[in-house]
Amino acid sequence: MRLDRRQFDLLTLTIVLVLSTHVGHLPLWANLAAGLLVGGRWLQRSYRPGLGAMPVWLRLPLTLGLPVAVIAQFGTVLGLEPGSVLAIGMLVLKLGESEKVRDARAALTFAGFILMAALLFDQGLLGALHVAVAVGLVFLCLRELEIPPGERRGPLFGRELLGGARAIALSVAAAVPLTLLVFLFLPRLAQPLWGAPDNLDARTGVSEVMTPGQFQSLMIDDSPAFRVQFATGQPPPPQQRYWRGLVLNRFDGLNWTRTDSSSHRPVESNLQLLSAPLDYEVTMEPTQQRWLFPLDVPTAAPERFLRNVDLTLTGFRPIGAVQRFSMSSALEFRLAGLNPTQRQNALALPYGYNPRAQALGAQWREQYGDNAERIAAAAMKLFRDEFSYTLTPPPLGRNGMDDFIFETKAGYCEYFASAFAVLLRSAGVPTRVVVGYQGGFWNPTGEYLLVRQSDAHAWNEVWLGERGWVRMDPTAAVRPERVSLGSRAASGAETSWYRSEWLMTLRDRWDLVNQLWNEVVVQFDTLRQQGLLRQFGVAQADWNQLALAFAIGTSLLLAFALWWALRAGRDRQDLIDRAYAALCRRLQRAGVERAAHEGPAAYLQRLRAALPQSAAELEPLFADYIRLRYARRDADAAESRRFAQAARRFRPRRNSG
Amino acid sequence: MPDTPVALPAELRTNLDRAVAQVNSVVLGKASQVNLAFVSLLAGGHLLIEDLPGVGKTTLAHALAATLDLSFQRIQFTSDLLPSDIIGVSIFERDHNRFEFHPGPLFAQLVLADEINRATPKTQSALLEAMAEQQVTVDGRSHALPAPFFVVATQNPLDLAGTYPLPDSQLDRFLLRISLDYPSREAERELLTSANRQQIIAKLAPCMSAAEIQTLREHVGAVVTSPALIDYVQGLISITRAHAEIRIGLSPRAGLALLMAARSHALVAGRGYCLPEDVQAVFVPVAAHRLTLSGAGTRDRLQLARALLNEVPVR
Repeated sequence: MRLDRRQFDLLTLTIVLVLSTHVGHLPLWANLAAGLLVGGRWLQRSYRPGLGAMPVWLRLPLTLGLPVAVIAQFGTVLGLEPGSVLAIGMLVLKLGESEKVRDARAALTFAGFILMAALLFDQGLLGALHVAVAVGLVFLCLRELEIPPGERRGPLFGRELLGGARAIALSVAAAVPLTLLVFLFLPRLAQPLWGAPDNLDARTGVSEVMTPGQFQSLMIDDSPAFRVQFATGQPPPPQQRYWRGLVLNRFDGLNWTRTDSSSHRPVESNLQLLSAPLDYEVTMEPTQQRWLFPLDVPTAAPERFLRNVDLTLTGFRPIGAVQRFSMSSALEFRLAGLNPTQRQNALALPYGYNPRAQALGAQWREQYGDNAERIAAAAMKLFRDEFSYTLTPPPLGRNGMDDFIFETKAGYCEYFASAFAVLLRSAGVPTRVVVGYQGGFWNPTGEYLLVRQSDAHAWNEVWLGERGWVRMDPTAAVRPERVSLGSRAASGAETSWYRSEWLMTLRDRWDLVNQLWNEVVVQFDTLRQQGLLRQFGVAQADWNQLALAFAIGTSLLLAFALWWALRAGRDRQDLIDRAYAALCRRLQRAGVERAAHEGPAAYLQRLRAALPQSAAELEPLFADYIRLRYARRDADAAESRRFAQAARRFRPRRNSG
Repeated sequence: MPDTPVALPAELRTNLDRAVAQVNSVVLGKASQVNLAFVSLLAGGHLLIEDLPGVGKTTLAHALAATLDLSFQRIQFTSDLLPSDIIGVSIFERDHNRFEFHPGPLFAQLVLADEINRATPKTQSALLEAMAEQQVTVDGRSHALPAPFFVVATQNPLDLAGTYPLPDSQLDRFLLRISLDYPSREAERELLTSANRQQIIAKLAPCMSAAEIQTLREHVGAVVTSPALIDYVQGLISITRAHAEIRIGLSPRAGLALLMAARSHALVAGRGYCLPEDVQAVFVPVAAHRLTLSGAGTRDRLQLARALLNEVPVR
């Protein structure tokens, strides 16, 4: 059967919506080609329907060219992204050759697969809603295909489609219990089978290399980095919200990077905790990186993570999905221990770079001697007096730090931390750079602290002899609001319209919704599943038990659905018929079975003889039934209910004799 | 009895009941056949009685005629009977110098066509045409038959020599086909001991007028048939069309006849609405002679029609 115009329109609309779930992560050429082909096909089908399906001379090169283009882009056809592009291309080509209802059905079934792939890329609330809408439309379209082409003549978005949508909503609602069962009890793998997307180029977050100017895009990115809930329910004061990411030791004149030795295990005696540990839970957005951001400083590493000698936490695998970690940190501490190699690392500067900064450092060294604290204070004073904070600093040349310290004197945390470290190292004070996040927004409704990408920060740790490594934040010297009020306050006059107050409130609310979605749906992993089962008395659920429980649950549900369907089929009757059938069943148990072909009057005749003790009750019941069923063209609803109630109340009397 | 949607006037009701009772007093032990005769009369259909000679076919027709205040004619069909013998003939009247139509015995309200299968097909056709159209045409002029027009035909199924049994297609003209069968032992004893039937019939007083019959026919049309009942009738019709032993099932006209007869049965039983029991009571007389068997089974039409009733459930 050939698709009629409205069916094709609906099919095109559905496929466009399905494709739109992928727009964000497809290569540009794929987006353009898909749009062009779908649009062209729709125009052709609308205005030149006589031309039929896409001809072979066009279809064949496109079909063969698709894998070639994918390989050219990704180097392989395997993997999530190349696979998705391939599948999307096939769906578009399928639309090109869809002329019959059968084609459309195949295309829609395949579209379901593509929607599943979309969820692998984005598990956020909006993405999920997008996919849900597309799934609904796919169902609706499949339903419309069941109607013979040409039968419906009204406008596409008419009452008929609304009726279809209602039916689909009902069917989907009927599927919810089974879906919930699957969600709760289907055994989960710790890592998804298909792996995470390979490169999330847009969402870098804090990276392993720090170059002044690199945070630029990060500082205006308001997407969440992680969320924290504290055991006490209250966050630490803003000045103590330093989220330690990586410690960078090596400077090559431009970039700060890690040293290999930093991954050594710490010597326990070097760390002295001066305050009680603070317990909290961090919900990380996927970073595709291996490290965590604990509060300065972590007392222990969570499972599958190691605590390094510089008190950073690195894991064995990148964080590819939203994950939750229980951590504990001490806000007051003393970190000692500096062996000669480490000292050397913490003093090294590249030869031939930034001579003026090195000269200034050397000058301080002469002026203050060994007194590291005074040198640091001098540096802080320099920053405080002469530097300004801006998110759009002027560009720097080859001797970047010289340019910054002596010429431009304007920048943000990366610049200050880098310059501070260069100055102090020049003065012979061991110094290193720490990158991570600082601050966070307390969401009072959700009682959690939200740390955004824009809260990314860099600061320093300076070796002050007996006091060990001490955190110093030159940015705070330039712009105290950055630390006390957060990155938003720091950017001050540079606030754009999209950071206005009311919008931010709205975004906080929205973030809360996202947090709930993460908490309830996305992070429902093996551990949470076991936690749930524990509440039902299953202490240690293993794979087999879960599979068994799932199989039993599903079978029960299916058995129930089957029973219900059969029952519904057996007496798909109205109220009167059901009540009469129930009455007849009761009379059958009393020993007088109604033959299938027996009319009510004949049956009553027999009942009078067989159950004389109940006859007085049966007479009016049957009279009502006969009147409602046969003396009316359509029965009165109230009367029907009355009869149904009376019929249900009836119980055959035992023979008293 | 439950209330009736359209109540029959009390006088009409008593007259009908009295008429039925009166015929029953003559034709002993045949209450259901008598009932069906009235069903046929009130449904506006014709009645075919098929049975052996001497079981009371003619007595039933005579009793009906005597009970109903209708003009009555009896036509004894023979092999030399011509159409004009029953319809009438145009004769040239010398006095008026023109042809004048002399109506035949068919021009009566109640016609007993005795042993209809003895006449030639030509004569049978003349009768059946008149039954279907309620009028006859002679020399290009139509003459309306009186109303009500009710034919009771009898047919002897066994005595086949020199007969022309009605073909299946023409059986369709009769709303009901019934058979009388031997009377029960008690009925026969009463028959043997009581007075001559002819004398009893001669003493009967009519208790229903032609006008009353017309009113009753209108009431039959007003009998309620609910959707549930129509479902049941449709179930019966469709099973005859899909049955292995039946070559040709019930036609739409047969379906209409079934429903009409069921309504009439309901009215005679005193109800203003139809029950499945009404349909069941008339199904065999209405349907059996309209079925064409395929030869796949061993049952005859009557047995098959009775069996079909047990195969269709009443909701």
